[in-house]
Amino acid sequence: MVGLSAGEKHFIYGGIAQDLRTDGRQRLHYRPISVEIGVIPQANGSSRVRLGATDVIVSIKAELGRPSSLHPDKGKVAIFIDCSPTAAPMFEGRGGEELSSELSLALQRCLLGGRSGAGAGIDLSSLVIVEGKVCWDLYIDGLVVSSDGNLLDALAAAIKVALCNTGIPKTTVNLGASPNDQPDVDVSDEEFLQFDTSGVPVIVTLTKVGRHYIVDATSEEESQMSSAVSISVNRHGQICGLTKRGGAGLDPSVILDMISVAKHVGEQLMSSLDSEIAAAEASAEDQ
Amino acid sequence: MATNPSTYSPSQSSERKQLQQQRRRLFQETDWTRFDGRGFQQCRPAFLKTGAASAASGSAFAAFGATKVIVSVFGPRESKKAMLYSSTGRLNCNVSYTAFSTSIRGQSSDHKEYSSMLHKALEGAIILETFPKTTVDVFALVVESGGGDLPVIITCASLALADAGIMMYDLVSSVSVSCFGRNIVIDPTSEEEACQDGNLMITCMPARNEVTQVTLTGEWSTAKINEAMELCLDACSKLAEIMRSCLKEAASAPS
Amino acid sequence: MTTMQRELRLSLNQTQRVRLQSALQQLEEMTSLASAITVVADTIPVNHEDSILKGHGTSDLNGEVVATLCGVVERVNKLVYVRAQRARYKPEVGDIIVGRVIEVAPKRWRLEINFSQDAVLMLSSMNLPDGLQRRRTAVDELNMRSIFVENDVICAEVRGFQHDGSLHLQARSQKYGKLERGMLLTVPAYLVKRRKQHFHHLENYGVDLILGSNGFIWVGEHVDMNGENHILADQVSREDMADKSCVGQVTQEVHERITPLEIRTHICRVANSVRVLSALGFNLTVEVIVDTVEASISLNTDIKDILAAEFYVQTAEREVQRRVSLSRKKG
Repeated sequence: MVGLSAGEKHFIYGGIAQDLRTDGRQRLHYRPISVEIGVIPQANGSSRVRLGATDVIVSIKAELGRPSSLHPDKGKVAIFIDCSPTAAPMFEGRGGEELSSELSLALQRCLLGGRSGAGAGIDLSSLVIVEGKVCWDLYIDGLVVSSDGNLLDALAAAIKVALCNTGIPKTTVNLGASPNDQPDVDVSDEEFLQFDTSGVPVIVTLTKVGRHYIVDATSEEESQMSSAVSISVNRHGQICGLTKRGGAGLDPSVILDMISVAKHVGEQLMSSLDSEIAAAEASAEDQ
Repeated sequence: MATNPSTYSPSQSSERKQLQQQRRRLFQETDWTRFDGRGFQQCRPAFLKTGAASAASGSAFAAFGATKVIVSVFGPRESKKAMLYSSTGRLNCNVSYTAFSTSIRGQSSDHKEYSSMLHKALEGAIILETFPKTTVDVFALVVESGGGDLPVIITCASLALADAGIMMYDLVSSVSVSCFGRNIVIDPTSEEEACQDGNLMITCMPARNEVTQVTLTGEWSTAKINEAMELCLDACSKLAEIMRSCLKEAASAPS
Repeated sequence: MTTMQRELRLSLNQTQRVRLQSALQQLEEMTSLASAITVVADTIPVNHEDSILKGHGTSDLNGEVVATLCGVVERVNKLVYVRAQRARYKPEVGDIIVGRVIEVAPKRWRLEINFSQDAVLMLSSMNLPDGLQRRRTAVDELNMRSIFVENDVICAEVRGFQHDGSLHLQARSQKYGKLERGMLLTVPAYLVKRRKQHFHHLENYGVDLILGSNGFIWVGEHVDMNGENHILADQVSREDMADKSCVGQVTQEVHERITPLEIRTHICRVANSVRVLSALGFNLTVEVIVDTVEASISLNTDIKDILAAEFYVQTAEREVQRRVSLSRKKG
């Protein structure tokens, strides 16, 4: 992350105030998104999303596991993000750990809902095979290949696309002789069930610079921010998660305003993402 | 088989054990066909490309069958650690595996030593005197691990260094062979590696005919070592030709 | 992992891809380079009877001259050397460069200039604020921060090399110094060739364009030689005062005000044109940049659409036209 001189900072700040950012975008405009699916053949689902110069890859693996005793009728989902040193030399070794854990936590908060499991973007009850005994564990691994700001939005979009691409293998269950036996689960190699992704939200990060907020900040603009709020919005316009970063305090009315802006922008993002996914799937079928 | 106490894959592991036993019996016979249809002395098709990561000074992507690696090179840059003046440059290597690189999530073998082995393989080829006081960082990321990882990492790293314009005495290419009883099999996949009796990996600079690194495990007779080394060196020089044509292609792109 | 092209992060549709391919192919044919590309460890054909001087990028192997870099072989009289095509910046005395201050050290500033080592600007190589030519005193040393602080962007000239290869800079003339009111772009250094002029004032747009030979390009509001800004004459508006009260991060200098929108649009247009040209790998000269900006205005392209796929392909096609017409003029 290169530092900026006072003159450059002033220029960026002025641009945001005048609704003309350094790359010509308006404040509420996303960079061009490009989407690829099925980039990791050995995973159950995978995707690669490019948002300007930010490049992330997400891979989803499903493995058999045991449901937790608190929620015997639900599967489990775990999200891990890794910032690789190919993105920036400072991510070598432990350099990227703080950023990775921050991103993982924010994504978990937005996608997995409350403690009771309600409101989760991913329907966990569709992952259970035998209640209380066997369920699917979904491991969502994100890799940051190149970083130019707004990693959270890019990762959330990539997770959504990867889930659209995910196929859960069909299982046939042979229950054991007594109810305490571990059931024998036969995992099919051929048939796959498409995952239901209608409830998966997208994340819109609003970065406050001066008096205005911008969407999809580049790393230069992020270095200028006073605070940032990431809001997760689903298809029905409901808020599924909210995270605030940055030290500056925000007026409560500002936060409410940000939420309504995020809903509006989230709708547009969702529809552009849907069309990108459709295009990617169509081109994948052609090949 | 569980690496993580809360997950297990009941039917998968018993299936896998059965397959492994079958294979071991298979490998002990004298004549068998490899699972991907290759002959014993046939390497996997090599796909090499430069310029995979735009943020780096130089980068390369290599796909040898199911093994896929990205390497990016940063530098020469100022050495961050305050060091006394040194008339030679510094080389820093780091190899990491992604969580989804192996079929069982999170299980990646021995990659801590791969970083130092990559360093030893490359330092003989780079002309360190050309960048005194600065450091060159080489970061390798294994995206998919399909066997023969370290040779592919070394080959890809050498390509990335040439792409970054670092002066080298020669390109470095690397090939490994496995031995099964009396058979020598080149460029093993991960299934073959799991049941091998021994392994020989050679890293060399083909144009200079110099070997920069040799590692050998298992029990080998001298005759077998000779045969294996010849096989490896021949494969290394062919691999270097592929690397050369890849670099030529990248160099003739318009500017 | 399907396609990963260098710096191309756009998704092109089928027709755009085809058009781009044909344009790039035509450019490749026009630049006749097929002759002497070498790769590391290729033997360079030399006539052994002549005494050949082995230059940069070559080494000796059993009496043969062998390349240690990937690039093009150049021969000048008896000197044989390899010129890397996508080379890192190679500084020469008198180069005009743009750099960023990373450290304020006793009697010097250290600048980052996209080179393997940082460059040094001595206090004695810099004009004092009061403009007098005098010996630097201890008070001047303490006041170094009043001239440049960390992260400032500075334009300077290469004065010479130190013994360990790092650069000495000087910024004694009025045209060098701190750059404000604009933005800094980083492009690969080999795209900026050495010319007579590196400072360009685009009068139609009121924009200053400085093409640093090290690949740092400054695009900003025009500032006169005397360091004054004509528009500065319009004083601070009340709106600016209100803006400033909300933000603590911006330096609160009375004469600072925000760049007017019209000039800002021109600055963004020029900057985006530079980005497109560098993504395509074309040499950056004022003519090409101005051409691209004018084309974008005449095509009524929105500023952010300059970075989109359509304009990208059109720029490649325009370059083909330009080179064709250039070669026709020549012969």
